[in-house]
Amino acid sequence: MLRKRIIFALIYSDGNFMQSRNFRLQKVGNLHWLEKNYKFQNIAFALDELMLNASKGEKNMLEFASTISKLVNDVFIPIAAGGGIRTMEDADLLFKSGADKIVLNSLLVENPDMVKEIIKNYGSQSVVACIDCKLRDDNYEIFIKDGSLKIDYELKEYVAYLELLGVGEIYLNSIDKDGTGFGYDQSLIDTVNRITSLPLIIAGGAGNESHLAQGLKIENVSAVATANLFNFIGNGLPNARRQLIADNENIANWNFNNYSNT
Amino acid sequence: MKVVIVDYGMGNIRSIVSTLNYLNVHDVTVSDSLQTFESADRIILPGVGNFGEAISQIRSKKLDDYLQTVVIDQKKPLLGICLGMQLLGLSSSEHGYNTGLAYVNGVVTKFENNAVKVPHVGFNQIKVNTNSKLFEGISDRADFYFTHSYRMHSEEDINQSLCNYQDDFVAGFEVGNICGVQFHPELSQFNGLRLLKNFIDNF
Repeated sequence: MLRKRIIFALIYSDGNFMQSRNFRLQKVGNLHWLEKNYKFQNIAFALDELMLNASKGEKNMLEFASTISKLVNDVFIPIAAGGGIRTMEDADLLFKSGADKIVLNSLLVENPDMVKEIIKNYGSQSVVACIDCKLRDDNYEIFIKDGSLKIDYELKEYVAYLELLGVGEIYLNSIDKDGTGFGYDQSLIDTVNRITSLPLIIAGGAGNESHLAQGLKIENVSAVATANLFNFIGNGLPNARRQLIADNENIANWNFNNYSNT
Repeated sequence: MKVVIVDYGMGNIRSIVSTLNYLNVHDVTVSDSLQTFESADRIILPGVGNFGEAISQIRSKKLDDYLQTVVIDQKKPLLGICLGMQLLGLSSSEHGYNTGLAYVNGVVTKFENNAVKVPHVGFNQIKVNTNSKLFEGISDRADFYFTHSYRMHSEEDINQSLCNYQDDFVAGFEVGNICGVQFHPELSQFNGLRLLKNFIDNF
């Protein structure tokens, strides 16, 4: 049976990892902090996928790429990386630095031809489309540029547009719920879930293991993501995974006995 | 132990290299030269991207001839990963019809979008073939990471392990010194480490 995934999304800006709340960023710590508080190589064994997003102000793609390559050593899970990708060279650099997929946001609207070109070179399965949404007057508005610029698409229309572009997955993020720890935006998820045939990753709002469990229970949702650096500190993620497996959630259960040389 | 990863300009090979290093295999070379292939103890054919593009790259660099020499004639162990596995089959329907290297009986077609979500992405369980050296010690229903829109079926017994998504397709096969896996062992946690270790130790 195809398993659902738990994704940890790290937000990176100018050498630091950030906690985001409603897309306002707060500095948490650098790579050293992350290693110390998350013991990354261990934590990774509790995750299905790791996502790294360079955010606001991070213009230095080389430095971001070098952080990725440091972070992914001895991490044997897929890595998705994004933020500020504008050219094929940006995409090439991230793939070379250890990214298995890239996450696109602004480029989807600003340069669809480039998106098609990336898909042609790396395949649909290597491109994740990130949709940042905000509810206003019973209507979901879509934003690009780290939530700073609203675009004119209707949500349904936009999803159809992305499917036509040929992206491989949708990362659906709620700006309203982002970093709140109040749980996922169920109605946003339902809206997109009804209309897309692409694998759907939900993000924004997960603050504890029961939120992850609620997300995993939604039919047709492929993956649940959290970017909450504060709430899962230490062994938060391994503990959450153990509990979710004990509760029979449909997530992969790697047999640690299959490989004992660690 | 020297592992050579076939370079045809496609695929994220960084994680394969770092996984091999983790398994204490440090002599890992990415190459497109016959001479280097002939010095290898193990050969890996990686692959991300589309089948037609990949096979035309392989043929234009004469890698099909080189592989014929070292894999078919000299019987060096070969592991195809993801698209690299598909390339070992007879044909694929990805962006038109293309023939593969035809080392095994396997035909590659697309998942049907109205039946399942495409691409097939995430960890999925394998019906493990216990006759396979590649899967030694890996428990039945073990989880491996997949990410693909096309999959292989075989009409012959190619000693396959199967995965179910829409229907049963070839998740892995092993015929003599030639094997392939549709999933990414380098992205499959302990299960993948064990599988790659088997490829190093058992062939």
